[in-house]
Amino acid sequence: MIELKSISKSFTGKHAVKNLNLTIPDGKIFGFLGPNGAGKSTTIKMMTGILPIDEGSITINGVDITDYPMEAKHLFGYVPDRSDIFLRLKGIEYLNFIADVFQVSIEERKEKIEYLTKSFGIYEALDDHIQTYSHGMRQKIVVSGVLLHDPDVWILDEPLSGLDPKSSHTLKEMMREHADRGKIVFFSTHVLEVVEQLCDEVAIINHGHVQFQGNMTEMKQQFQDDDNLERLFLELTENE
Amino acid sequence: MSNAWKLMKIMVKMQLSWAGKSSSEKVGYVIMAFALIPFGALILFSLNNLIGNLYNALEPTGNESVILALFFILMFVIFIVTSIGTVLSSFYFAEDVESFIALPFHPYQIVLGKSAVPFLSLYGLNALILLPVLLFYGLHSSAGLLYYLFAILLWAVTPVIPFVLLSIVLMFLMRFANISKNKDRTKIIVGMFGFIFAIGINVVIRLDSGGDGSGTADLIREQNGLLELVTGFFPTAYFSSIALTQPASVTGVLYLMLMLGLTIGFAILFLTVGQKIYFKGVLGLSGGTRGRFNESKVQKTIKRKPIIYSLWLKEMRIIFRTPAFFTQIVVQSLFFPVFLLVILFMESNTSLASLGSLLTQLEGKKLVLGLFGFTLLSVGMTPASFSSISRDGKSWFNHLHLPIAPQTVLRSKIITAFTLNLLTIAILSFAALFLVQVSFKIWLIWLLLALVTNWVTSIGGLIIDLYSPKLDWTDEREVFKGRFIGLAMLAIEATVFGTLILILWNVSAVNGIWVTAAVLLTFLIILAAACHAGLKRLSDKRYYSIH
Repeated sequence: MIELKSISKSFTGKHAVKNLNLTIPDGKIFGFLGPNGAGKSTTIKMMTGILPIDEGSITINGVDITDYPMEAKHLFGYVPDRSDIFLRLKGIEYLNFIADVFQVSIEERKEKIEYLTKSFGIYEALDDHIQTYSHGMRQKIVVSGVLLHDPDVWILDEPLSGLDPKSSHTLKEMMREHADRGKIVFFSTHVLEVVEQLCDEVAIINHGHVQFQGNMTEMKQQFQDDDNLERLFLELTENE
Repeated sequence: MSNAWKLMKIMVKMQLSWAGKSSSEKVGYVIMAFALIPFGALILFSLNNLIGNLYNALEPTGNESVILALFFILMFVIFIVTSIGTVLSSFYFAEDVESFIALPFHPYQIVLGKSAVPFLSLYGLNALILLPVLLFYGLHSSAGLLYYLFAILLWAVTPVIPFVLLSIVLMFLMRFANISKNKDRTKIIVGMFGFIFAIGINVVIRLDSGGDGSGTADLIREQNGLLELVTGFFPTAYFSSIALTQPASVTGVLYLMLMLGLTIGFAILFLTVGQKIYFKGVLGLSGGTRGRFNESKVQKTIKRKPIIYSLWLKEMRIIFRTPAFFTQIVVQSLFFPVFLLVILFMESNTSLASLGSLLTQLEGKKLVLGLFGFTLLSVGMTPASFSSISRDGKSWFNHLHLPIAPQTVLRSKIITAFTLNLLTIAILSFAALFLVQVSFKIWLIWLLLALVTNWVTSIGGLIIDLYSPKLDWTDEREVFKGRFIGLAMLAIEATVFGTLILILWNVSAVNGIWVTAAVLLTFLIILAAACHAGLKRLSDKRYYSIH
């Protein structure tokens, strides 16, 4: 379970996230939605330890990210919204580095690297520099790196952007399987069709607050007038 | 043409804009500008003296035109050398090249736009060097108004021909030699060019110094004889010099016209060649090379390593594979030892070789302090250390969400800077033991001093970079360009170590090789410990807040 308790973050006096509460239960694919500048990335960065939290606390499977950062970071895998990282490394070198960081055994990393990169169709590009990869391939190598150590919690920032339909389908299946094993998939996206198709639960954030949290059925009940998610999203995030 | 003008304006604006520069950077530029005033005055003063003396010596034989010719040749060489990097990066390696191709511009218009900044920088140099030269020459030769008119015209056209020649050669190379496919390798070669050039010139001068110069003496006797010899390969220098030395004659006017005509001709040639082949060299530039997949090779590289080793390996790979890092960090730090090595090799049978025995005759304290000063020169400036954090750029955040302790990340960066300097220490050790034949005892003392100094400067640089990193770069060169971090490090080192040397020099209680070395080492070890403590405190405060 991930718990965000009354977290706040401000930049030069301006609140990006204010008093935000969120509970993400096990065994769910959790969609995190919001317009640009709503505070999604800031929240995710606080969850992953990239940004220090001004107020409140975040626990991942009971481990506080501020008090026990190393332990907490071992529990999740994070796909950032940018994939242009470590461009001068070869694909295989990047995966080896990540596996070293998470102390993945040699047998396991061999098996996982082969399985993941073959599933995403980048196995034969492993000996090339990431710089020569297309945007989608870069995204795939980062996702492969995250899944290498089989973390309990997946935190994915726009994970499907740039992926071709086949890889997108593969990743969605992996997300489903992971949640079905009782683990958490937390992901942010702008693509509402994906949310409708994939998510067990969603939270919509705007101006640093959670506007709505619940499962898809609840959401549809609450907003009966809106016949589709897009209209609902627009209504919720309309500027007050 | 109006499109070309718009492109030029926008490119100059983008390059020279102060937007996005931190206030400390701006203050740095202002301080630098003021610091350069006395330096500039000194150079102008010597230049004036040089021209005056040369004029007085050469005027009686009618060879004074050679003074101007020498400076025109010098400018030609300077323009060519400085343009290689700027033209290549502006024409081919800049990130915006492809975005301009998609817009409805003619190739020649883009080439013109792309030339604006490199060309303007040439005029900067032109104004700094050639303008005062022409003025001083005019004053010494008591020239008339016509001279100054000719001088202004020739000054304005001087950068055009070398720039065009070089650009055309590069455009042909990029088009036909296929070097654009190996973008990184080309960048490294270009980066090393200056380095090889400096050492090459040194070797040539040393090899050439044996001649007797009797042929030159004959040439001096006839008017303009020297000029013809000197300008053999640089006809434009010849034309300009003649035009300026005989402005009132028909010959002078003709040569001026010739220069102006040539300049226009070259400009047209530049646009034509640009229109025809520029796009062909640019297209496909961003592709990069992919090797053939070798499964067993990839499988073999899957190994488990301790995290600190894995981090170190990542740092080293990035430094060696990124052209800007490779040239700024590896090549630059090797410059001093390799240069020294070349000099020692060339002078192996002269007095330098007996330096080893000379050293032993020095008083112990002075010897150790001297060695320490030499150590600072060779391993004191470590670009690898003061770029430790900034090198990561936008990838820095990865250290924050991965479960790696901050101290481990920082330690790997210190070790990276330290290892890179070991190469310098190894080369110098080779030179000391085998070329200069320094005694083993002196070498050992130096080695100890160098290793500990290397450790201290590696941490010091990291501290400075952690305090004020630059992560929001789009081109790796920005990690070094326009930052005063190297200068800051130099200033701090000069203050700390300068004071130390001064104190030890004057304290009479410290005497002899061993005592001085022991005192120095103790101080350095204490300094290293203090730096470690400082780094710990700073990283607690800054590590998670830099973005």
